[in-house]
Amino acid sequence: MSAASKPKTHMQTRPVLALFILLGGLILLALGLTLSISVGAADIHLLTVWEAVFHFQPDLTQHQIIQELRLPRALCGAMVGAGFAVAGAIMQGMTRNPLADPGLLGVNAGSGFALALCFALWPGLPFPYVILFSFLGAGLGAGLVYGIGSLAKGGLTPVRLALAGAAVSALLVALSEGVAIYYQVGQELAFWYAGGVAGTTWLHIRIMFPWIVAGLIAALMLSRSITVLSLGEEMAAGLGQRTGRVKLAGAVIVLILAGAAVSTVGMIGFIGLVIPHVARFLVGVDYRWIIPCSAVLGSLLMVFADIGARMINPPYETPVGALISLIGVPFFLYLARRERRELG
Amino acid sequence: MGRLYAKQVDIAYGDRIIVEQLSLTIPTGKITALVGANGSGKSTILKTLARIMKPKDGAVFLDGKAIHSQSTKEVAKQLAILPQNPTAPDGLTVSELVGYGRFPHQRGFGSLTQEDKRIIQWAIEVTGIVEFRDRPVEQLSGGQRQRAWIAMALAQQTDFLFLDEPTTFLDMAHQLEVLELLHKLNQEEQRTIVMVVHDLNHAARYAQHMIAIKKGKVVCEGAPDQVMTHDVLREVFGIEADIVADPRTGVPLCLPYGLAHASVERAHSHEKGA
Amino acid sequence: MKSMQAGTMEHRRKIRAAQVMAVLGALILAAFLISMNTGFIKLSPWDVMKTLVGAGTEKQELVLFDFRLPRIVLSVLVGAGLAVSGAILQGVSRNALADPGLLGISAGAGLAVILFISFYPMTEGAPVYLLPLCAFAGASLTAAVIYSLAFRKGQGVAPTRLILVGIAVSAGISAAMIVLTIKLNPEKFQFVSVWLAGSIWGANWHFVMALLPWLMILLPYVMVKARVLDILRLGEPLAIGLGTSTERERIRLLAAAVGLAGASVAVGGGIGFVGLIGPHLARRLVGPHHQYLIPASALAGGLLLIVADTLARWILQPSEIPVGIVVAIIGAPYFIYLLMKT
Repeated sequence: MSAASKPKTHMQTRPVLALFILLGGLILLALGLTLSISVGAADIHLLTVWEAVFHFQPDLTQHQIIQELRLPRALCGAMVGAGFAVAGAIMQGMTRNPLADPGLLGVNAGSGFALALCFALWPGLPFPYVILFSFLGAGLGAGLVYGIGSLAKGGLTPVRLALAGAAVSALLVALSEGVAIYYQVGQELAFWYAGGVAGTTWLHIRIMFPWIVAGLIAALMLSRSITVLSLGEEMAAGLGQRTGRVKLAGAVIVLILAGAAVSTVGMIGFIGLVIPHVARFLVGVDYRWIIPCSAVLGSLLMVFADIGARMINPPYETPVGALISLIGVPFFLYLARRERRELG
Repeated sequence: MGRLYAKQVDIAYGDRIIVEQLSLTIPTGKITALVGANGSGKSTILKTLARIMKPKDGAVFLDGKAIHSQSTKEVAKQLAILPQNPTAPDGLTVSELVGYGRFPHQRGFGSLTQEDKRIIQWAIEVTGIVEFRDRPVEQLSGGQRQRAWIAMALAQQTDFLFLDEPTTFLDMAHQLEVLELLHKLNQEEQRTIVMVVHDLNHAARYAQHMIAIKKGKVVCEGAPDQVMTHDVLREVFGIEADIVADPRTGVPLCLPYGLAHASVERAHSHEKGA
Repeated sequence: MKSMQAGTMEHRRKIRAAQVMAVLGALILAAFLISMNTGFIKLSPWDVMKTLVGAGTEKQELVLFDFRLPRIVLSVLVGAGLAVSGAILQGVSRNALADPGLLGISAGAGLAVILFISFYPMTEGAPVYLLPLCAFAGASLTAAVIYSLAFRKGQGVAPTRLILVGIAVSAGISAAMIVLTIKLNPEKFQFVSVWLAGSIWGANWHFVMALLPWLMILLPYVMVKARVLDILRLGEPLAIGLGTSTERERIRLLAAAVGLAGASVAVGGGIGFVGLIGPHLARRLVGPHHQYLIPASALAGGLLLIVADTLARWILQPSEIPVGIVVAIIGAPYFIYLLMKT
């Protein structure tokens, strides 16, 4: 008995490392945010950054750039990164599938569909409404996937969730493609999909902030249940968990976090897929640590990728979503090859 | 000398070496049982003997030729293997599954000849699944399904039959049913059978030859009464057991009464090192 | 009597398969006739008949023989090619979710097309003819990259790893595609997005002649390999135990799947769902034997695409919807229905 559990030492939770990652990650994040504010088409001295944030003088151009453009952009990146990563961690824990990401719940496809309708039917709709519609679309996608998955005979199994996600996404993507081609709004949509925090304003932040914060807090509160659920449905039920409720709560949190993030900055795939893996690799199997660490690591990746996106080909910006995918793919390939060794 | 033997075989998963310098011979015409603790490498050895896995070094020989250098289709006419927990595609019926066993004997489009059909019928009858023949495999109970898979392996009409834990997940009656079937095939048709089994008493009762494996090495082999000894069980499984003679058949029965602590600790330190 | 009994199940399957294929064939024929009457320029059934026997006006002949017929034939061929490719991939990977997208075929072809469009001026003539070639090259190159990344010495290509690598590489290519599409001018963008959504336009007899040989060679080849596909479906150890050289058979079958899908995508664009749904439909109708599954998939795929293409031309007359979108809109709900039922 104990002989069987011994070789798994490396899977055990490492709270000390986790705390270190949380603290170190936050310090790095502060550094990243500062860097993000100072780097751009106009390079701004770090001292100026400090002054602009804490002793704002509206008549200075540099202070204005920082306050109006750079600061919201940096903050937005951090929030979005955390949102995607935590949503991904919850999805992977709930479905016990290392390939799950928030897109699997139909959030991206739903939001894309709503956006296509918005751009096609009400061009020039004010920003807050676009975000609202996008969020509603995300909810529609998630609701369809979740509903179909649970209505099927035998209830919501991870495989069924994946299949329903694939089918609903295919349908919604096809519908939005149709709308986009018919109304010729495809390129606008592509900009949105490419994902970017470039145009972020304080308005974005104000809309998104409460959702992300609420989602993160809820995720932390649910983290213990997710750990139990990640042992498997029957095991969780045996430990006295009402798995149906936990799964529903998890799905709602994923919708809030990923929906808010997608609605504000478009699709940034791979954060939700990759970061939870990294977090699990570093801190072990306990979601009470995985979730906060994912949040910090997701923010870090997003903020630094955004800096990278501005520095690769100045003064043009590389779409940050594409950049993250390009970083993510090799990592994912590595995972795929490692996966096989464990199966073998 | 048997028709099938392994000579100085190394087996590895990727870089992890499981078995080193293994040499063993399968006695022709007998039932051989591979026994050992979880993770001892017995399934790996079985798969390598049946050429499912390629050894990293050394070779398995069938009728004097290295098995991996022979045409896999020709080998399939000599040797059938039933892996652990095989799965059939949905909707496949029992008789169709058994028909797949004729694959190595077919060419081209592979419609079944009269001879094929006769052999399929025989395999279905001998395994006692005639009444399920048109039922989809996934609808059968565990014991019925296992017999359907054995029927498929039988339809292959081979001298060698390899089975990886053919009795797991079966209740006692079904376990005996499968083992009796294998015994009958061995007695009546002189098939050479090699199987991995967990139940030592089953192994001793039905096999004429036992091979005890620990960490990829053969610790002891021979007739059941040579292998089923207090010392071998202690060494291989880390258990303390009394060995008594079965009052009915006289074959050795093992009655475990405790863990051999020294060997458990040794197993620990080994796994920590790995 | 006993041995007769051994044949009954097989016999029943055969009859069932023959019936299914006859019905699918008849439906394709019916769709064919309806499709000939559908389009921007009105041709009554009577006109069509007259033109077919050579008694139509010059304009009617032009519309029917040079525009409509090649397009209809092509849609059947593309649907058949994609569906058979999907059936092979589902068999080889033992995964019901596998489709030609798994081997990066759509992504690779799409990237090649976008690159081509970005660097070529949009003019009439030569470049448009090069487009299918380009798409085919992109598709096969990507498939080769995925295969070699999934390959490991001593283990070959395990189906699970193939799926994971396929997902990763396709995602990477999609990212690259997004970067490129944003830089396109609006006209080119529209062209590319229609191509990616899948569309059999610009069809002519040259395209038909380019696609036909692939199907004529590869379909019989896959039929010969039907038994091998059955056996591979049982999993690696059993397949080897039954005497299949799994690695060699797998690479041959994958190559056939790439050939079929690559050629189909080259002329039909990124039509995704047919490769997933065609084999599923066929499996429900004729069961798991590839001997029947392969031809039934071909017919189901052909039928789905000819119907979708007809609808694509008809729904929003006079403009058209890319056929791939119609396929997904018909196919996805059906797939969801299957999911809820089983």
